[in-house]
Amino acid sequence: MSQPCGTRNYKYSEDMAILRTKTHWVLFVGLLVLLFTAPLYFSNYWLGVCNLIGITLIAAIGLNILVGYCGQLSIGHAGFIAVGAYTTAILTNRLELPFLVGLICAGLVAGFIGLIFGMPSVRVKGFYLAITTIASQFIIIWVINHWSLTGGFLGIKVPYASIGGLVFRSESSQFYLIMIIAALCTFFAKNLARTKVGRAFVAIRDNDLAAQVMGVNLFYYKMLAFFIGCFFAGIAGALLAHWIGFLNTEQFSLTESILYIGMIIIGGLGTTLGPILGVVFIRVLQQLLTVEFAPFLEKSFTMLPAGFASGVTPMIFGLVIVLFLILEPRGIAHRWALFKAAYRLWPFSY
Amino acid sequence: MTEFLQFLITGLSVGMAYALISLGFVLVWKSSSVANLALGQLVLLSSWFTYGMLVQAGFPLWLGFPLVIIFALFLGWVIERFALRPLIAQPILSLITVTLGLAYFIEGIVNFVWPWSVDALPRLFPIEPIHIGGAVVSQQYIWVAVISLIIFGLLTLFFRYHRMGIAMRATADDQLAVQACGIPVTRIFSMSWMFACVVAAIGGILISSIGGITHGLVETGLKAFSVVILGGLDSFAGAIIAGPIIGLSESFGGGYLTPYLWAGVKDIIPFVIIIIVMVIKPYGLFGEERIERI
Repeated sequence: MSQPCGTRNYKYSEDMAILRTKTHWVLFVGLLVLLFTAPLYFSNYWLGVCNLIGITLIAAIGLNILVGYCGQLSIGHAGFIAVGAYTTAILTNRLELPFLVGLICAGLVAGFIGLIFGMPSVRVKGFYLAITTIASQFIIIWVINHWSLTGGFLGIKVPYASIGGLVFRSESSQFYLIMIIAALCTFFAKNLARTKVGRAFVAIRDNDLAAQVMGVNLFYYKMLAFFIGCFFAGIAGALLAHWIGFLNTEQFSLTESILYIGMIIIGGLGTTLGPILGVVFIRVLQQLLTVEFAPFLEKSFTMLPAGFASGVTPMIFGLVIVLFLILEPRGIAHRWALFKAAYRLWPFSY
Repeated sequence: MTEFLQFLITGLSVGMAYALISLGFVLVWKSSSVANLALGQLVLLSSWFTYGMLVQAGFPLWLGFPLVIIFALFLGWVIERFALRPLIAQPILSLITVTLGLAYFIEGIVNFVWPWSVDALPRLFPIEPIHIGGAVVSQQYIWVAVISLIIFGLLTLFFRYHRMGIAMRATADDQLAVQACGIPVTRIFSMSWMFACVVAAIGGILISSIGGITHGLVETGLKAFSVVILGGLDSFAGAIIAGPIIGLSESFGGGYLTPYLWAGVKDIIPFVIIIIVMVIKPYGLFGEERIERI
């Protein structure tokens, strides 16, 4: 990792620190202040978009740990999010348990379901694993659709989140709840990558046989990656459930799973910054396309075919994913790193 | 007993169509080791294109059907040339996700051009039911099975005797050696994609001539993966044998399990089979077990 000129380390703790210079600290505190005062200058509509971004970010961080660090391709992420969402919906709506219990249970249940469907990953990888996770997505959604406990096709209502007497009813109060959890998750993911576990994940991603020969317990670490990834998905699902207030399985389709993969690829696999950039990019693009751009075009050009609004968004998303894979497979995060390096070294680029 | 026969025949013929679609996967996998996860969307798109030719443009069958084949060839060529070729020798993650991106894109096209999302193809086969040993079966199923078998036969002959077919098999075996012999490997890749699109299109038309064109065709394409997994990724024979197995388990399971489980259990059986095969025998019945070296 390149550091600004003149940064020296005298202790190990300095060497390990995430924020190392005064500028880092100023920027970091500035970012936090900006983030948590956002409800003051954003309209309710854009706060809603921010909340969706926060929720998606939590799920994407989980997927990034699973795919980006551990290299286990999972195309069933929306299914695991659905598990979390329905767990909290059942606990808080049918059993009337408090929100925090629902949140934790959502993560745990999603994690354990992830363990079950992650089991084949011990023996297979690559395409086989992709197919297994697609199958798991279909099985999960089918069970939810047909089980009477989950409300089936009719959907299920979810009460507002509340801690103690505090009820998160407005967009801005939910913004704080979601953003605090998202920030904690980002912090966790950043640190996980630097621990023994994170290094074991990366070793498995780069070559799992070599990792095994060097003494990494493949079964344990692959299962752990699935558990952590799906735990995050469950947490995201729980927040989504309380944020929307109503669930049906339409919200957790296979295309949504593919979109999650697209997000972390566009952002940059195996980086902390990647999921953030990817999620913001995709969700803002989605919002602009479906809410602003397509209806505007449809209104101004009446000869456009009827499917224009619903068709143009997936087309552009698919195109963006393919183009990123061909032109910049390391994602926006890599571009940002290049930019930072160029900025530091300017005007002498060596 | 009549019920049993009925399930047997429908299962077999639907299974043959699944096997046909899954051949589209095996072709590409064998020659270029690319996992085509956009198979379901290809099936959907070509079924809608057939609808566009036969119903919207009103072409007769003898003109419309060749146009569909030409369209499928073109589609395969475009996909290989513009999405897959720039990614040759990239990690497997990119190769899988690029087909996912394609899947998304194709779904967008379908939503764009045919937004009403459910329709029926014109009748391709006579539908008078026929009686086989007490069972009453729609004639369509027999036709589907027969056409699938004919296409299997043609493909087998092609791969055995035609120069291009032999070159494709050779590429699957050893790319480097083939390149050294002067066979243009990129052209083989592009050919295999074109072939794959054509068989997926025919399989899709056969399926949608029975059940109509719905978004469920994507799921049909995904069910073809269970055929691929069960038969082994790189085996034609595996696909042909596993297809009817999946079709039969789907129709028997749907017929006999629905009273005990929830409705719609039929649609989930192929996916359950995938999970079971993964745990027990991940390389399928006839797949080549890969031994890795570090």
